[in-house]
Amino acid sequence: MPKNITIYTTSTCAYCPMVKKYLDAKGLQYDEVNLDQNPERQAEALELSGALTVPITVVTKDDDTKAVVVGYNLAKLAPAIA
Amino acid sequence: MSDGDVKVHDVIMIGAGPAALSAAIYTTREDIETVLFEKGVPGGLAAITDKVDNYPGFPEGIQGLELATNMQQQAERFGAKIEFTEVLSIKDEGEYKRVTTTDGDRLAKAILIATGSDYKKIGVPGEQEYYARGVHYCATCDGAFYRDKKLVVVGGGNSAVQEAIFLTRFASHIDLLVRSKIRASDVLQKELEKYKDKITVHLNTTTDEIVGENNKIVKVIGTSKETGKSVEFHTDGVFIFVGLDPNSKFLEGSGVELDEVGLVKTNERLETSVPGIFAAGDIRSGATMQIASATGEGATAALMIREYLEGREHPIQN
Repeated sequence: MPKNITIYTTSTCAYCPMVKKYLDAKGLQYDEVNLDQNPERQAEALELSGALTVPITVVTKDDDTKAVVVGYNLAKLAPAIA
Repeated sequence: MSDGDVKVHDVIMIGAGPAALSAAIYTTREDIETVLFEKGVPGGLAAITDKVDNYPGFPEGIQGLELATNMQQQAERFGAKIEFTEVLSIKDEGEYKRVTTTDGDRLAKAILIATGSDYKKIGVPGEQEYYARGVHYCATCDGAFYRDKKLVVVGGGNSAVQEAIFLTRFASHIDLLVRSKIRASDVLQKELEKYKDKITVHLNTTTDEIVGENNKIVKVIGTSKETGKSVEFHTDGVFIFVGLDPNSKFLEGSGVELDEVGLVKTNERLETSVPGIFAAGDIRSGATMQIASATGEGATAALMIREYLEGREHPIQN
């Protein structure tokens, strides 16, 4: 079980609700950072992912290591939350 | 129903865009058990389009994501099941068709191919290198990163113009590079006129290279076809909308016949060269690449599938 999950989203991104639905289906809690409403946090999203895109999902594991998943990518998201 | 360990369905629809969702509304209302396999987002390209203004029933237009969500909910209300997986191949095994996905095999009595297309790459230096770090194909996903920045949009069709207009809500200025002339609808061209302070259109201008420095895009180099000279556009990012690439690679070796650009050939019943395998929407050779026509084709395909399944259960005796 991850210690913490943060998803960086925008209001118009179609793939962002897909990630949220996926995590909801797994019964996982997450924090959402909407970059339209919080543009000052874009640099943070870029630094974490190296990508200028959303969704970005940051999974903090029990040992405090982080997995960063760019986009709606179940092949990477599934092992990240395992 | 299952055959050994492999689950059997009445219909498997590959893709969950407008064509498949429309088809699923029809099949499920006929009590034909239907599952849709989607590798991305339900609604496909429609879901990542900012605004859809030419789909009937919405006098003020509708957000692409909202339209896609509505279609999905309507199909699910009648019992359509959407599973998120990627189809790797299909094989006609006579009575059933085998569908191999990243999550295993399934069998179906009939298949609808409705995988649509993705935005095409232009294949210039820098495009792959800066993908998602300055080069983008989805304005609604990535536009917010370019607040008060300069952008280049490549393309002259409906998508390029529509998305360039969408990006004006973030960008300080946009250079629209059009290889020949604007091919967008008259309505969109008139709309584009309203944004002439923010969008500069460069006709007959090719896009030759995307150049970065220190891991960031700094400019696009093109050629003016009128003067033959190189032209440069300083920019923070590039959005590319130059046409569509069919999602049909998984059909290699399936026996389903494709045309010269990789679109699926069908007859007037929307049946492919393999009996029991149908195609609808943007993936179909001859499709008009419109959401309205995709939903129409989906409905037609569903009725043809119903006839096919009825004939399969009750073959005509001569």
